[in-house]
Amino acid sequence: MGSVHLSNCIKMKNVEVIAVADKSKRALIYAKNIGIKNIYTNYEEIIKDKNIDALIISLPNFLHKDCAIAAAEAGKHIFIEKPLARNILEGEEICTSIEHSDVKGMVGYPLRFDKRYIDLKADIENGIFGAVITASTSNISSGPFSSRGQLGRPVPVPSWWFDKELLGGGALLDLGVHSVNLFRYYFGDVIETHSQLGYRFNMDLEDHAVCIMKFKSGTLATIKVGWFSSDIIRSLEINGTIKNISFIQSSPSKLKIISSDIKKKLGLTNEYNSFYHEINYFIDCLNLGIQPIPSVDEGLMDLKIISEAYNNQLGKNSNALIRD
Amino acid sequence: MSLVSLCLAKQTDYLNIRETVEKSLDLINFNFKNDVDKILIKPNLNYYWDYSTGYTTDPNFVGILIDVIRERITSDPYIYIIESDASAMKCKYAFKILGYEKLSIEKNVTLVNLSEQKTEKKIVEVLGKKLTYFIPNIIQNSDVLINVPKIKYMKDVKLTCALKNIFGCNSYQKKYVYHKNLNKAIIGINKLIKTDLVIVDGIIVRGVNTKKLGLVMASEDPVAVDSVAANILDLNPKSVECLDFSLKEKLGNTSYITKGETLETVKRMFPKKEINNKIYEFLISNYMKVLR
Repeated sequence: MGSVHLSNCIKMKNVEVIAVADKSKRALIYAKNIGIKNIYTNYEEIIKDKNIDALIISLPNFLHKDCAIAAAEAGKHIFIEKPLARNILEGEEICTSIEHSDVKGMVGYPLRFDKRYIDLKADIENGIFGAVITASTSNISSGPFSSRGQLGRPVPVPSWWFDKELLGGGALLDLGVHSVNLFRYYFGDVIETHSQLGYRFNMDLEDHAVCIMKFKSGTLATIKVGWFSSDIIRSLEINGTIKNISFIQSSPSKLKIISSDIKKKLGLTNEYNSFYHEINYFIDCLNLGIQPIPSVDEGLMDLKIISEAYNNQLGKNSNALIRD
Repeated sequence: MSLVSLCLAKQTDYLNIRETVEKSLDLINFNFKNDVDKILIKPNLNYYWDYSTGYTTDPNFVGILIDVIRERITSDPYIYIIESDASAMKCKYAFKILGYEKLSIEKNVTLVNLSEQKTEKKIVEVLGKKLTYFIPNIIQNSDVLINVPKIKYMKDVKLTCALKNIFGCNSYQKKYVYHKNLNKAIIGINKLIKTDLVIVDGIIVRGVNTKKLGLVMASEDPVAVDSVAANILDLNPKSVECLDFSLKEKLGNTSYITKGETLETVKRMFPKKEINNKIYEFLISNYMKVLR
């Protein structure tokens, strides 16, 4: 995601990208090639730089807390990729540090900047669907094993993706957190959460899961996630007393990938529109001195819901991966 | 001429597959030596693809093979399942994710990451090209090596089956260094490592799409197996460079006699690439070359 944010930032007129830090040589070469002058292999170098106002944290989950706290203490505003942290405790430490340092913090949830999802929020609030009784999302892909689902040669999977301590959770935390945040945006407070986890690939982390959430509004929602498929499907369904709606985004055909690739190279399209909008909005908020949303507190609430899902596994005693 | 058996399981449950494996061995008159101590089984583990996709050898198939070996050999040999790290795959994760760790516990066999073994550097010449390999001692010291490949199309070499699977016995992790001369590299390692038995897991096959076929092929000759596989995939064996090289290097026979099902029956059932897919693939691969 770091390279997506970087390529978006350099297109923004009100942003100057001062520095990039990454362990990956390839990523740093890319940054250098697009004109970034300060290239570091350690994020601490960025935090020391007094010319930097804000930081985009697109690191593995286990580095979120230390990087976010160090940045906040250095007076830098923070945009942090989801999930906010590996667990509630780390999430709380990030929130406290941001609050005490008087900086702004935002969590990256690109669906919140996708026009289709934004319009749906207005439709729900305007009663277009009547009372929303049930809702569901699916987010099934190859997850960290990206080469299972892509054109081209396999690329190595970084070892932290196999480590439950470093990740904090599996597919439910990685993908489910998007839907938890979206459903809370639509339906408000959650009163009950349960889950069932699956381990097709024998890892210590779940590679698929179903989560059921009950909202104060009365809506019952299910979230289905998986890292197991070479195909991609992302879908949302809303069922109301007046109207139902569903939209499905599935794997593009190879021809579609190529045509979008060509369009991108010609500058005719921006595939990562919602990623562009979220960073653009974050920068606008900083310039206007207002709190961007989804805030880190929202990110923390999402972590609490996911944690409850892990703790309330159907047909099984608690086997929480996220610990309070 | 080499013997290659082609057998189709009626169902894909344990008993039917086991019966098919046994039949495939009987049809080629294969008998395990009885005084063996170390048997190595080399499945085809490719990236972290689940066996249900047809890309990797099914651990259940390997489990059945282990049961058959134990029934047919009285000396109770040590059985090892071997694989090496590749550019994008680490054995320690692949064994776990693809179900081999579970299998090793269930069947009391040992998993071996060849990239962590002591090796011997070997240089071999293939049609004028000198190639270097790191051959694990465990392979050199084994009594029997069983190759359990999959049949697949592959962009660079057209076909991947028995010969290509042995490429994974080279302990050197950065296998991409061989990709420039991949066909010769495949032949080179097959010159150094001889397999005693090839038994193809065609229970789930990956052609233009995935299909549960229930196919088991067996032979003592990897070149003959690959020739049959090329035929099944509707490839002209003469157009498969690897087979051409294997003949020049006298690794085996491209002429064969099939036993069991007819080649035509299997060929008809295999999900082959249609002509429009071939054109499509050609256009895409050339586009990718220009783009990248």
